[in-house]
Amino acid sequence: MENELMNLKNNAVSLILDAKSEKELEELKLQFLGKNGSFTLLVKEIAKLPAEKRPEVGVLANETKKIIEEALENTATQFQTQKKEAIKKIDVTEPGLRPPLGHLHLVTQAIEEITAIFEHIGFTRVRYPEIEYDWYAFEALNFPENHPARDDWETFFIDQTPDPQKGPVLLTPHTSSGQIREMERQVANQKKTGEEISIKMLNIAKTYRRQSDVSHTPMFHQFETLVVGENISITHLKGVLDYFVKAYFGQKRKSRIRPYHFQFTEPSFETDVSCGVCEGKGCKLCKEGWLELGGAGMVHPNVLRNCGLDPEKYSGFASGWGVERVLTMKEGLEIDDIRLLYSNKLEFLDQF
Amino acid sequence: MNIKILDSWLKDYLKTNASAKEIAKEMSLTSVSIERVEPHNSDYVYDIEVTTNRPDLMSVVGLAREAAAVLPQANIQAKFVAPTIKIPEKPLAKTPLTIISDEKNVRRICAAVMEVTVGKSPSEITERLETSDIRSLNNLIDITNYVMRTIGHPTHVFDYDRLPNHTIRIRESKKGETITTLDGKSYTLPGGDIIADEGTNNIIDLISIMGLENSVVNDNTKRIVLFIDNVDPHKIRKTSMQLGIRTEAAQMNEKGIDPERAMDALLFGISLYEKYAKGKLIAPIIDIYPHPYKPKTVSVTLAKIQEVIGVPITLVKSVAILEKLGFAVTTKETTILATVPSFRAEDISIPEDLIEEIARVYGYHNLPNQLPGITSNSIVNFSANPFYWEERAKNALKYWGYTEVYTYPMVSEAMYEGPTSEAVKLANPLGEEFVYMRRTLVPSLLKVLEENRQATTLQIFEIANVYEKDDKSLPRETRMLAGLIRDSRANFFRVKGLLEQLADDFGISNLGVRATKSGLETEIKLGSQVIGTIEILDEDLINFEINFAQLVEHATRTHSLKPLAKYPPIVEDISLVLTEEIPTGDVIAEIKKQSSLVREVTLLDKFENSRTFHILYQHQEKNLTSEEIATLRAKIIQHLKQTFKAKLK
Repeated sequence: MENELMNLKNNAVSLILDAKSEKELEELKLQFLGKNGSFTLLVKEIAKLPAEKRPEVGVLANETKKIIEEALENTATQFQTQKKEAIKKIDVTEPGLRPPLGHLHLVTQAIEEITAIFEHIGFTRVRYPEIEYDWYAFEALNFPENHPARDDWETFFIDQTPDPQKGPVLLTPHTSSGQIREMERQVANQKKTGEEISIKMLNIAKTYRRQSDVSHTPMFHQFETLVVGENISITHLKGVLDYFVKAYFGQKRKSRIRPYHFQFTEPSFETDVSCGVCEGKGCKLCKEGWLELGGAGMVHPNVLRNCGLDPEKYSGFASGWGVERVLTMKEGLEIDDIRLLYSNKLEFLDQF
Repeated sequence: MNIKILDSWLKDYLKTNASAKEIAKEMSLTSVSIERVEPHNSDYVYDIEVTTNRPDLMSVVGLAREAAAVLPQANIQAKFVAPTIKIPEKPLAKTPLTIISDEKNVRRICAAVMEVTVGKSPSEITERLETSDIRSLNNLIDITNYVMRTIGHPTHVFDYDRLPNHTIRIRESKKGETITTLDGKSYTLPGGDIIADEGTNNIIDLISIMGLENSVVNDNTKRIVLFIDNVDPHKIRKTSMQLGIRTEAAQMNEKGIDPERAMDALLFGISLYEKYAKGKLIAPIIDIYPHPYKPKTVSVTLAKIQEVIGVPITLVKSVAILEKLGFAVTTKETTILATVPSFRAEDISIPEDLIEEIARVYGYHNLPNQLPGITSNSIVNFSANPFYWEERAKNALKYWGYTEVYTYPMVSEAMYEGPTSEAVKLANPLGEEFVYMRRTLVPSLLKVLEENRQATTLQIFEIANVYEKDDKSLPRETRMLAGLIRDSRANFFRVKGLLEQLADDFGISNLGVRATKSGLETEIKLGSQVIGTIEILDEDLINFEINFAQLVEHATRTHSLKPLAKYPPIVEDISLVLTEEIPTGDVIAEIKKQSSLVREVTLLDKFENSRTFHILYQHQEKNLTSEEIATLRAKIIQHLKQTFKAKLK
């Protein structure tokens, strides 16, 4: 018995010292000390010895176990030390192995931000056709028949026979066509379900005009708000404008509205944001401390009427601003030529 | 349209102590936008943007009148001083001049014949014109421009002696008639343009747009016809745009100038010729004005005013503002009845127009900012929200290493795929590059590739509409997702895997990829419906395009929980010898078909004619025994032998 224990000890220790990995060490531990390990099985034999021999062999067994355990522990510590040494040697200045990362287009990034801002104050995003009838783009929006925007020089027309009711087919020159779509939809819904008219729309879409120069691309994006309900006033338009300006451009920026002229709003406004560079003092980049954001106004009674809404009961406001415009107005992004956004040079796109 | 004027010029008609900066600020807030104020010697130049509804403000007098109305609201004293328009003495001479009007197009014509001496203009006039970006030529021409800018009515001058018939006849042009404008350029008229001839067919003026070479004043001019024409603005716009002659006169006239100003302009002009060109009236003044302005009245209630503006503005205040702006106002209880001055006739016709006048002068900046209390009546529904899925897909692609591009939906004929007879075509494209509305996004992505030739690897995508013609309705717009990969390691299976993973993320389980024409073009199916393609264009170039709208329609955020497995799966690999034409997909499907205990089958390895499949067996309720697995395996192998003539390796 003593010899067996001795042999087992020697065998175990030499195997442990030879172990090449932590996994091998773990296996050796099981092989000797595990539930069916050779040491464990041998110890069970002690009970079969005569009573007087048992204490002596018991002591030896304990010692053997202790030695094996120590050997296991020492070797394990050695492995730990070796690992640490290897970790120490890592050249952390070597480049990291990055997961793939592409880029979202600046316009998408702006649209996501604009959407989040307006959704936060209860607007719902919609999408309507890019190719529209004259009715939605002009007629229902109160544009007179001879208005320059209806000229071939300003708006793209589709080579298609005009609809007898809704007129020629064109590429919508503004997201305002969505105003008519939204109001018509809600009026139809009211007739069907009796649900009250309550519009808080955000329409972000591609828009088209026949222009291409440093500050115009024939395709661009606008974001349109439309709020229609009872007792909507200019103060509400100002509230929404100011909320957007502070959320998008920063807390310090101021907003204002001033008189302007559009066919589909009355009164009409131009909306401004204070210049972020000179903080409203006036500089080369701005106009006397202000930058133009875009148009807005109170929905014209003819427009409400054209959509089947009674202007005596309902009022509303709308705004239509350029996505590219607010994007390039953000500090730090001075894009001289707007066409760069759609040139799709990766060198440009990959910067954002 | 922008105009520039000197501060000192404005102050000829506006008595105020306000500085140019103050005037600019207050006017911008309540009236026209004065975009810049630049110092000029001891003076200032205003750069003013005038909106199309306010042609009355495209003049010094108009601006002075407006400023006098709005400045007091900001506690700045200001008073309008109207120009002194002197009515000249009746001349003794009766130099003959016949004007034949055209009832259909003419709103008013005022004319005077004068003897003059051509020369240089005084410096006061040249300086004022040149700071307004109007070139000074000689006194005869300069005075017409000076009158236009001061009074706000475009003005023309003929050389009387170059009109041998002493006749000016207004008519519409016939298509093909030719003219040479005073700058020496020749034009062929489109027809229907308002012109003047001398009673014969010899055209002498392109009315309201530009003078002609054959009748314009020159250094030898002794007698002139000062000619103020006010005609149909829409015809002016049309002719001016068609010929591309965008003179300041044309840009003003197309907006509709108040005909009441025409006589002021003529009389002011006469006085200037008298003063600066030794002018003498030599014939009675002519005034053709068939339908003089009849003032109209517009009414609005105080309740409506307060509702739109959103603050309790008083009746007294509202009336005072309108009166300052030149309206004659009476009230009936709380209703305002405002008679519109002629210079605002085109612009003011409904109650809201009056509200705008009251609100802007009251000052938009004096109104509070309030968020509207109403809420949208639409209910948020993630699964049905296309914007939610679009953002999710875009972000997934971004984190899988793709860069998003935005390309133009209008494409050239070369870039249009398919027969152009079926294309959505622009009637008035902007050059050959943008003629058709695209039917697929792929050629646009290939163009991006071309523009980035130097990039050896590239992974791009776009989500945008494609367009299909529908003669009875609007073209159909369908949202597509397309991608393009150029990489030496480009691999069909990466693209396939990407689409499968995207479908998984959208909760779609029945996306399938099937070859139609070998690997050259592969269909992507959703159930039995083809919703896209994968194309291998070259060893290192692959594209895909998929109907994103369809994908969104089937997308869901609903997941049903499967109970967690209590018993570990059993894994085994089977190597088979299979002939080349047998699709791996079919083999996998066949293996899965054999038992519901087969949870997963993947292709582990492919070498020459052998393929190794990795199979995972699992029972929800118990541990599978080796016997059960053996039976299952035998069944699988037997079926593969039958169906595919497979051999166990």
